[in-house]
Amino acid sequence: MNSRDELSDLLELYALGLLEEPERSRVEELLQSASPELLARWKEALETNAILTAAVPLVEPPPSLRQRILASVGATQRAVWKWAWAALVAASLSLCVYWGEQARQRGQQLARLRADLESTLAQAARSNADLEQLRKLLGFLNAAETRVVSFGPQQRMPQGRVLLHPSRGVALIASNLPPAPAGRIYEMWLLKKGQAVPAGLFQSSSDGTAIHIHLTPVPLDVKIAVTVEPESGSPEPTSTPLFIAGL
Amino acid sequence: MNFLLGFLWAAFDTRNEQDVVCRLKRHEPQAMADLYDQYGKLVFSVIFRIVKEGGVAEDLTQETFLRIWNRAQFFDHEKGALGPWILAVARNRAIDYLRSVEGRLAQRTTDFGPAREHPSDFVNLERDVIQSDRARLLREAFAKLSPNQRLVIEMAYYEGLSQTEMAQRMKQPLGTVKTWVRTALKILRQELDEVAPV
Repeated sequence: MNSRDELSDLLELYALGLLEEPERSRVEELLQSASPELLARWKEALETNAILTAAVPLVEPPPSLRQRILASVGATQRAVWKWAWAALVAASLSLCVYWGEQARQRGQQLARLRADLESTLAQAARSNADLEQLRKLLGFLNAAETRVVSFGPQQRMPQGRVLLHPSRGVALIASNLPPAPAGRIYEMWLLKKGQAVPAGLFQSSSDGTAIHIHLTPVPLDVKIAVTVEPESGSPEPTSTPLFIAGL
Repeated sequence: MNFLLGFLWAAFDTRNEQDVVCRLKRHEPQAMADLYDQYGKLVFSVIFRIVKEGGVAEDLTQETFLRIWNRAQFFDHEKGALGPWILAVARNRAIDYLRSVEGRLAQRTTDFGPAREHPSDFVNLERDVIQSDRARLLREAFAKLSPNQRLVIEMAYYEGLSQTEMAQRMKQPLGTVKTWVRTALKILRQELDEVAPV
């Protein structure tokens, strides 16, 4: 490195994930050294990135977002939210009825999915987190572009379906998937061109069912895999996939 | 007196933030409420600035907070800086979404590696750096950049473009773009150095 400024430039771009080879490898080597000077520059780079990232016009999020996030971790509801929740249940059930009509027209496969969904919806009445998942799932099922892939029908476990939508993302519905052991969690992966991209962590319920939704656009030729990982997740798979599904 | 009050207030905030992190590690739902009340607006604003769609920003904001929830146990509540960590996670979620939508992942011929967002990276940073005088000075310095310098910084931070991608987008030589990036970062850094001598 020629100068302090150059080093700081490289560290800031590296921390943002924007540094290209061969500079990226040079920075990684330097970080291994962990010299006090380098650590000081690294700390400054992360601080500068935080300041610049935060330098945006503030936008008020919709009030419903707070409740939605809290519901997803099982926070206690307020009375007002209970009414909203009830309305959401009613709306979801209405959507299910509507979907019954749609499913009949789409054939046997979607009819089975609807039955699965109604069954799961009944369980979700006890859980806001599950309800939120189902709301998203309905969005998948209601979209004409959604493609459905079954996996594991010939095996005892796990089995289920993967819903792929090019702009919405991926939804996984699984059964016979026992909860991961203590300290472990399931991680979904998007497989394409030999690379595995993390697609979120999830845990199955005690009855072995799981719904996991990854809201990031995906190409329809992507394959979906699930592995058991440490509770914090992994940047790449560390165990053999339980299953791989794809069109 | 004002200095003393400021010091005490900062100490209270620090203790409060440490408490939130400890409760997040125990997966107490109320800790998520406190975390959202402190950072929800900022996280949503950062993501909205990047993806420019309200519905998508809501989904990604939720994903950001769930990721913090799931990984809080690896965060050092005594030495860690929660704000910079949350901002890095939020930005990365939004940039990943942009890259997916624009198909840039498939087009890339060079592996840039992931942006850094592991909790262990965010230790020993200035805890309230986002609200500090340095942040104010840096924002003022940002206004002093030339249009091209400002553009490349925005493309890096809010679009996740590498310098090669910037050069292609702006139809400029890579060397020119690198000069703009380097000069812009140097100007911004000089402003910070005035209040944080090393």
